Amino acid sequence: MSHATDPTVEPLLPLPPAFLHILIALGDGERHGYSIMQEVAERTGGRVRMSPGTLYGSIKRMLGDGLIEELTRVAPPGAAGRQTPTEERRRFYRITRFGRRVAAAEAERLASLLSQARSSGLVPRKA
Amino acid sequence: MPRSSFAERVYRLLLRCYPGEFRDEYEREMLETFRERLGEDRKVGWGAVVMLWRQVLVDSVLRAPGEHLDVLRQDIRYGMRSLRRAPVFALTAIATLALGVGANTAIFSVVHAVALRPLPYDEPERLIRIWEDNQSLAIDGFAVSVPNFVSWRERSRTLDLAASYTRGVTIRGTGDPVRVPSLTATPEFFSILGARPRAGRMFSPSDVGPNAPRVAVITEGLWTRQFGGDPSVLGRVVSIDDGAATIVGVLPEGSVPSEAEFFLPLTIDLATEDRSDHTIQVIGRMKPGVTPDQARSELETIARQLETEFPASNKGWGVTISTLRDWIVPEETRRALFIVLGAVCCVLLIACANVANLMLARAAGRSREIAVRMAIGAGRRRLVRQVLTEGLLLTLAGGAAGVLVAYWTMPLLRTWLPADLPRAGQTDVNAAVLLFSLVICVATGLMFAALPAAAASRGDVLGALKHEARGHTGASQRTRLALAAAQIGLATMLLAGAGLFAQSLLQLKGVTLGFDPANVTSAMMGLPDERYSAPGAAWGFYQRLIERLETSPGIEAAAITSSAPFDGGNTGQPIEAVGPSRLEGKSLQADWRMVSPSYFRTLRISLVRGDLFSGNRQADDRAIVLSEGMARRIWGDADPVGREIAVQPIGNFRVIGVVGDVRNLELALEPNPTMYISTARFLWPAMTLVVRGRTDRVQAGSLIQSIVRELDPELAIYGVRTTEEQIGDSASQPRLNAVLVGLFALMACVLAAVGIYGVLAYLVSQRRQEIGIRMALGAQRSAVIRSVLARGLWLTAVGVGLGIAGALGVSRWIASLMFGVSPTDPFTLALAMTVVTCVALLASYAPARRASRVDPLVALRSD
Repeated sequence: MSHATDPTVEPLLPLPPAFLHILIALGDGERHGYSIMQEVAERTGGRVRMSPGTLYGSIKRMLGDGLIEELTRVAPPGAAGRQTPTEERRRFYRITRFGRRVAAAEAERLASLLSQARSSGLVPRKA
Repeated sequence: MPRSSFAERVYRLLLRCYPGEFRDEYEREMLETFRERLGEDRKVGWGAVVMLWRQVLVDSVLRAPGEHLDVLRQDIRYGMRSLRRAPVFALTAIATLALGVGANTAIFSVVHAVALRPLPYDEPERLIRIWEDNQSLAIDGFAVSVPNFVSWRERSRTLDLAASYTRGVTIRGTGDPVRVPSLTATPEFFSILGARPRAGRMFSPSDVGPNAPRVAVITEGLWTRQFGGDPSVLGRVVSIDDGAATIVGVLPEGSVPSEAEFFLPLTIDLATEDRSDHTIQVIGRMKPGVTPDQARSELETIARQLETEFPASNKGWGVTISTLRDWIVPEETRRALFIVLGAVCCVLLIACANVANLMLARAAGRSREIAVRMAIGAGRRRLVRQVLTEGLLLTLAGGAAGVLVAYWTMPLLRTWLPADLPRAGQTDVNAAVLLFSLVICVATGLMFAALPAAAASRGDVLGALKHEARGHTGASQRTRLALAAAQIGLATMLLAGAGLFAQSLLQLKGVTLGFDPANVTSAMMGLPDERYSAPGAAWGFYQRLIERLETSPGIEAAAITSSAPFDGGNTGQPIEAVGPSRLEGKSLQADWRMVSPSYFRTLRISLVRGDLFSGNRQADDRAIVLSEGMARRIWGDADPVGREIAVQPIGNFRVIGVVGDVRNLELALEPNPTMYISTARFLWPAMTLVVRGRTDRVQAGSLIQSIVRELDPELAIYGVRTTEEQIGDSASQPRLNAVLVGLFALMACVLAAVGIYGVLAYLVSQRRQEIGIRMALGAQRSAVIRSVLARGLWLTAVGVGLGIAGALGVSRWIASLMFGVSPTDPFTLALAMTVVTCVALLASYAPARRASRVDPLVALRSD
């Protein structure tokens, strides 16, 4: 079944860019806010640097939409990055099963858009 | 935690832009993220730091308001959901508020149209109206003599002045002759008001003078009605009573403070004017920066100069001025409107108290829900805000319904408004009115939601969870009782007010008129100079007309007069007694009327002494008939018949008879001293016909019209009114006060009754267990009923006490609107107290009965 026709997923698409960046950053494990910000910056080669307001505004909404969830644990075992005393009080987030489906659907949507752009010659065929 | 740096303190300050909940949730995290990001960016360079600051500033300006909206959306969604779950509560509250807001909107729209909207003239605050007065003759606000006006105009440095007088003209040559109200004015009249033509031009100085061609300006209404809106009307010559005039301009409706539809230029010829003949109305525009006081003192100085220069005509004459606004909308009218607005605000307050009580009861019922939500972490702030949001939702829904109610009832309201209420025809629901409604909605929403919100914020979590909080006993219960007492107080005040206005109206309607208005119709008509200028021609015509009317089936009597009772006109003159009198050489200001001999018979005015007019020119020449009050003022109880009075400048008149006193002007005014002279000797170009039909079914208007046409097809009658209608107009403002305040008092009583019922029913439901125990211990049902009724009575006593204190407090304000009854009339106040107490007892009875039916077993078993 295509994700794009999933009735629970569809109302959320297209996903705001910040959401997708956060979902991608959380794709390989749970992180706290600043770590998400760093991960996004790293993955985009420093082009996308989220502000704290954008980050936590998005987190709040994504929690509400059920795309991510907050961990109840205090210290994450094997979390990416080093562990400092402040991290113990930090809140960690991880992607939910539903979040993965939404991220996949959004990626599929973007892929289909890309292939359309290719077929119309706007983008070179070879990525 | 390391000590905050300056940058962090700034960021913490910026975070204040976010809603409280958001901060509670994320502030600490955001601060830490900011600190780490800042540290990293500093290593990268200043460019990165600047970029960060730019981002956080944008966040505060754009993102933070978005978060607020988000919270609001959630609150609204939550509020709607919880209201949908309680439809009876929601509908009751909305209907109550719709009633309150609707009534307020409707009344405010009238207040706005009449009293608040600026006058539709250029810089209206600089416009004034000027009269002459004479304290020694007890004359206020009298017309101005033309020579005095000219002297003022020449000497004043603070004012531009214009003079005018009103009359009617019959326009001929455009189909049937039509009679329209006209105004003859000096050319500056239009420019002083800032009136601009819709087409053509206004008057210019060259339009006046002995050789100036006669021009006229007409209103847009007359242009459309009589000339079909034809643009070629400009330059058209129309025939009027005393000649012809060329129409040169069309005036937009409402651009001058006059009913006139036809305007002629006023040419002043001082050679023919008499300084003691007061005939014209004067308006003025104060020069920029001049205050009304300055204008008044300058005119007073000029008046004193004129008094010295022309003692014969000007002795004792001064000036009275008022702003144009005060003249058009008198202080009394504004006060009456604001009192009605105050009354309707009381209704809204009572409605608010009811909704607040409903919400408190609901909050009490939901105390467990609230406590649970607080226990699972809902912020107190959020709960309070949700209660407020719920209140605002209710009030906006109620307000919208109320505005619709006002909008739909507007046509009805307009027909209710007194015909003489100035500018009332322009009453509508406009932007200002909607703004007012919105403001009262938000204010009332916050007002009635504030108490439940405070109750919610006090919410005792543990108590409610343990189910011990009997609906916020203590403070909340006291609040509800206080609200109910306040409602009773307001209702008492309104009822007392309504009682006073109603009594006033009854007193007014009960006054002795001195004549019988039943089946009397009046109409005006004028005779064109060119055909009726011969001596006796006009009187001859009127005699034939009266005779012809009196022999018509259905007509009992007919007469002519210069001014019929309650037609709004008045004429007066100072007189002196010839020979010894009580006046001791002083003059007496008396009203006068020209009347035909049949006038007294037609209006059934009683002859007290002597004779009436004969209708013969010679016999009636120097004859005068006095009102009883006037004769007594001059000669006491002595027989006045045969004595003489001097009426300047005409000469001496011999008293031939005395008739009963007549209220001619207003119901509320005692009859003025009045004298009557014969139409066989004195006639105006336009006279008023008064006709008494045999029954109230006689169509007097069309009958008079056809008989007049029969005698002279060129004549038109106008201004046909029944005297009873005209008397009704005189009482229209008091009637409106009585009807509206009465209506609001009724609404107040019903709402207050609902309020008392609600509070007592609630108390009974809260005390079921206690009542159950008492009954189990042997208390009688009647004792239970008595105890609940006593509670209601106590509440009522406090409320009624407050209400009477309030009524006494505002009595000063309504004193000037009372007639024949004191604003502190003990009978009326006692009646209001009794009615409110009865209503309150009735409202208390149902909860009391319910209390007496408590089954001890059931009550004790529950909980």
